[in-house]
Amino acid sequence: MQPAVDLYELSKSFRVRRPRSGGIGARLSNFIAPDVQAVPAVDRLSFSIAPGERVAFIGPNGAGKSTTLKLLAGILQPDAGEVRVMGLVPSRQRTELAFAIGTVFGQRSQLWYQLPPRDTFELLGRVYEIDARAHARRIEALTAVFGLGELMSTPVRHLSLGERMRCEIAASLLHSPRMLFLDEPTIGLDVSAKAAIRELLLTESIRQGITLLLTSHDTGDMESVCDRVIVIHRGRLLWDDSIAALRKSFLSAKRVTFWSEAEHLDVTLPGVKVVSSAAHRTELEIESGATPLGQVVDAALRQSSITDMVIEDAPLDEVIRALYAKAERRCAT
Amino acid sequence: MTLTYLKKHTAYARIAMAQGRRERAELYGRVVFFAVILGVFSSLWRAVGEAGLPASGDPRALVWYLAATEWIMLSAPQIHLEIQEAIRRGDVVYRLGHPASYVMAEFAAGLGATALRMPFLGLTAFGCAFAFTRWTPPLSAIALFIPFAVMAAALLVALYLWIGLLAFWLQDVSPVFWVTQKLMFVFGGLMLPLAMYPSAMQKAAAFTPFPVMLFAPASIVLGTGLVRPVILARDLALWGGVMALVVQWTYRRAAAGLTVNGG
Repeated sequence: MQPAVDLYELSKSFRVRRPRSGGIGARLSNFIAPDVQAVPAVDRLSFSIAPGERVAFIGPNGAGKSTTLKLLAGILQPDAGEVRVMGLVPSRQRTELAFAIGTVFGQRSQLWYQLPPRDTFELLGRVYEIDARAHARRIEALTAVFGLGELMSTPVRHLSLGERMRCEIAASLLHSPRMLFLDEPTIGLDVSAKAAIRELLLTESIRQGITLLLTSHDTGDMESVCDRVIVIHRGRLLWDDSIAALRKSFLSAKRVTFWSEAEHLDVTLPGVKVVSSAAHRTELEIESGATPLGQVVDAALRQSSITDMVIEDAPLDEVIRALYAKAERRCAT
Repeated sequence: MTLTYLKKHTAYARIAMAQGRRERAELYGRVVFFAVILGVFSSLWRAVGEAGLPASGDPRALVWYLAATEWIMLSAPQIHLEIQEAIRRGDVVYRLGHPASYVMAEFAAGLGATALRMPFLGLTAFGCAFAFTRWTPPLSAIALFIPFAVMAAALLVALYLWIGLLAFWLQDVSPVFWVTQKLMFVFGGLMLPLAMYPSAMQKAAAFTPFPVMLFAPASIVLGTGLVRPVILARDLALWGGVMALVVQWTYRRAAAGLTVNGG
């Protein structure tokens, strides 16, 4: 099966001016002969995404995520390497590709600000050359799925950020794209709006078989929507596997919290340390591989009866922080 | 140019009209401003005429001339500001990703807004000019002037589009806009017909697009035969072609710059 996205050794640099510091001479030379340096934004990046996959595309600020998305959408041209999206070369077949993909940029808007979303939807129907009847049916379907109802006739300037985002995503799905690029779609949203957007993305992706490539700094987006994660750092591929594999590889410890009848528990085993201790509550961190979890539980039970117990992985945020830190250390050496 | 291509870009014109209808305050503001300046200048030209100053042959004709030039000027929306804002906010990435020509979409949106304003401002122009002078030029001259005014306004929209595209390089395109406004004033004959200017200035103006945007169409309304409609149609087509090339070239440079210097 043809991959939805196929990148091979993709590279992109930008020319950035580096002003010389100093007096008037330096300023003059900055003006006449500026010091321009090529800064790599994407550096020999290779990966492939199968149709229907939901992939989180993450990295620290300046890692090259947005640049990659713009390269995939055909807005920017690569310096080197090969890229195909839906079998098309974005830089040469941008218009054809536009019909096959949708884009959502969390901090941008394609809705006409003074008008209700319905007007933008009508415009997009023309722009994407959708048959009028099919377009009306599609609007109706998306209105139902996204719960747009009254929002459709409310001027965009009166919508909340969460409502606007639902409209933005629906607008990007109007032409039934087979692939959706999302750049921080939940940025700035409150908890319930985030949950609603994630749920909609997941269900629509499954229902319509849409391939998703999602960038976000919110690990909740990744965990709720995606089944695979690609991590880049300084334009290079750092990690490409499932979220479970990412956790497993970078999770050095588990956290176990006991609620006991005894006021305190004293579990002294290799690789086990007390994180916090209060009356009848003890939180332990257990290094993976040092002592089996069962032994820790047995040791606790020998001291007191246990009223409750919680076993947790470290939050994904910590996992990703560890991954970035490792990459930074590697760059430093 | 296919029918689909035409429909696609006409949709941009329609939505810009719809947006314009929501921004009534701006339209009303322009109408009031227009009426005020016509009132002020009709008093001024009358005073000039009564003082026997050699500024004009007929102060009433000058008021109609001003009504015509300002009609064209005020009808063209300042799309350069919208383009600049879209580039600054980054919303432009959506438009760049659509299966439509970015330049044509912006131009069509500008024309849509112009189409909404022209009838209102036209009524203001002719209504106020008549109210202040109690005189009308030949109606045939007014009828001939209207299509030329529409074409001139379209050329002005293209000029503002070009200024807007400069926002891909400049943080603020306002200085370019203001310089252009001054050039319109001087070489376009915004207030007075170019025929009243020193000959050196008239010759210099002939090398710019500004006379065909303002002076030449507005001269037609006076029915003096100073500007021949055929020549004006030719010049409008010529400058329209030049403007189209310049806008396309600028856009291509901007797109290339985006890919070299980053988004």
